This record gives sequence, structure tokens and C-alpha cells, in this order.
Amino acid sequence: MTIKRMTFLQELLNFMGLEGRLHLDWISSAEAQKFAQVVTAFTDKVKAMGPSPLTGELDLSAIESACEAEIEAKSAEVQSVGGG
Amino acid sequence: MEEQMKKWLEPFSTTDGKPSTLATMQEQVKEWIDQDKIDVFLGYKMVQGHPLPHFFTKSNLDEVDELIGGQARYSLEKIATKIAAETPDIKIGLMVRDCNQRALNVLYVWNQLNPENVETIHLNCCPSKLKKHADCSYLEPEKAAVYKKKVGIDNNMDVEDAEAFNMEQRFQRWMYEFSKCIKCYGCRDICPVCFCKECSLEHPELIATGTLPPEIPIFHLVRAVHMGGRCIDCGLCEDACPVDIPLRLLYRKVNATVEDEFGYETGTHAGQSPFNLLGDEVTLEPKPL
Repeated sequence: MTIKRMTFLQELLNFMGLEGRLHLDWISSAEAQKFAQVVTAFTDKVKAMGPSPLTGELDLSAIESACEAEIEAKSAEVQSVGGG
Repeated sequence: MEEQMKKWLEPFSTTDGKPSTLATMQEQVKEWIDQDKIDVFLGYKMVQGHPLPHFFTKSNLDEVDELIGGQARYSLEKIATKIAAETPDIKIGLMVRDCNQRALNVLYVWNQLNPENVETIHLNCCPSKLKKHADCSYLEPEKAAVYKKKVGIDNNMDVEDAEAFNMEQRFQRWMYEFSKCIKCYGCRDICPVCFCKECSLEHPELIATGTLPPEIPIFHLVRAVHMGGRCIDCGLCEDACPVDIPLRLLYRKVNATVEDEFGYETGTHAGQSPFNLLGDEVTLEPKPL
């Protein structure tokens, strides 16, 4: 059940842009070494990804201008094709 | 008003003198109620120009003549679930489209309705290659406006298109959509397969209260998780949403995951959902003494 729910949740988070911040592993209480390894590896991974985007303000100006640039580039292309 | 009435009734009118589909349907309902095959029939009745869900029972049998079909679409099975929760043995007749039928299948799977107590009359609905004519109040979402196209998610998008954005954009676009939420609970209230007595969305310890938009993305993701193996893609949530959050797309993704990972097709058969708390069927045998 756990693995089903976690796989499902990982897919959902990935879909809305929060990939790689959820991890599931089975570690027995007798596997101290594995525990240390997994936790260290996961911590390193999350640190490398930087702070969660959920903590910041939602800033849409970047994607808005990126989209505008894309639209402009497309219309320029159409014009140049039409002109040529 | 005349015009409007015509639009709703048109699919049932015939010109060749044969009894119309609607008349046949009304006859059938009367017969069922007369013969005690059903105690109550859930359909639609035109009230002041609006097709509204309506109860037809023995005590108001005459009203069956006012039963209509047309484009009216509501989760009648949700009303049936509430009735069955109060009076478990009641026999209910329903007017169903394909989406209602899928919802009924899900409700049977989750033991919210007993299939033996439900009779259905089928209505025309979603278009397909085999069925060109369709009647539905929500065949296509509205076209997205300029700003929504730039920074949000177009309600007409496919799951693949929404996945094509890079991760940062996906996050920002979905967050933009969620941030419009006014927490009206419309998506939950209309949902035919939302039947929990206590709703996680109203639990103050799970989702912080007192702000608008509600705590995002938790509010929407909690609902999305609950839709896994339940959502039957009727689109009523998105139709109800006053701020056009592409909920149908989100739940489509959720169900695609359920299908890809667990091979479970929601609403098409009587098999248990992979998220059923009872877990998988026990295949082991107890050892002999």
C-alpha cells in the first residue's frame, strides 16, 4: 500500500513541478549503515536542488516575458517567411 | 423562454408520429413506479426555464409528464447516494449519461450504492466516432484568454502538453491556477464520487484556514490524491469552478497514473481500486496443521 501511494504521489508532484523532493526506502532497524547512506544521499540531493519553490513568492513575470519573447520570435519568423 | 424550452427538448421530438424518446421514457418511469419496481425516480424538470433535478414518486406521478432530458447534467447519483445513506433499502431509478454510469460503477465499488436497488434510463451524451450527436452541458471548456495562455494552464490542454513545460514552468503555471481559488468547495460539492462523511479539505489541522486562496497547493493536491481511482472524468468540477482551474486535466493525470502504475481503469468495471484500504486480495493459503 505504501509503495503504491508514494509512487502515485511522486507522479503527481512531478506533474505540478515538484520533482525529486519525496523519497521512499525500506530500512530495517538493523541497517544503521543503510539508513545513514540513504539520508545523507537524499539530503545532498535536496540541498543541491536549493530551497523549495513553495517558500518563495510566486513570480510569474519570468514566464510571461519568456512567452512573449516566444510569440514575438514566431511572428517574426512568419513575417520573414511571408516577406521572402 | 419558448426558444430555450425548445433547445432542451429538441433531442426528444419526433416528426413521424411515433411516440418520442421522451414520451417512451416517461411511460417507462410511470410503469416502474406503478409496479413498485422503484420507489423514487431522479430526473429533471423544467422550473421557470431551468432544468432542475427532481424527485418523481407515486405521490406525484402526474409530474412525470414534465420529466425532461436534454442537455441538463447534474450528479443525480450523488443525490441517490445521500438518499441511500438514510434509507438503505429504497429502490432508486435514475436518468444517466455515460458519465453518470461510470460514477455509479465507482459508487458500487465503494459500497455507497447497491446495484440491485438501482434502475437506470440512459440518455444520449458525449460525442464519439460512433455517436455524432451529443447532448451535454459541457462538451468543451471555454477557450483560454491571453494571460492564462501565457502564465497558466489552458483547460483544453492534454496531459502530454502540460507535461511538456519544464519543471519550473510547470510549478509556476499550476501555482498560478491554484492561486485563483476562492475555496468555494464547488468542485467537491458537485463531485459525484466525493462521498466521505468527514472531508479532509475542511480539517483545520490538515489545511490551514482563514486565508484566500486556501493553502496551496495542498488544498488542490489533497483533492487530486483522493481522485485517484475514483474520478470518472465527467468534468463537472471544472464546469462548476468559478475561476476555471483546469481540475479535469489534473485529475486526468491522476487517473492516467493509476492506470499506468496499477492497470486500473476507473469506472469501467467492478474491480476494487488499488487504493482500497482493505488492500489486495489475500492469495496465500493458511498452512495446514
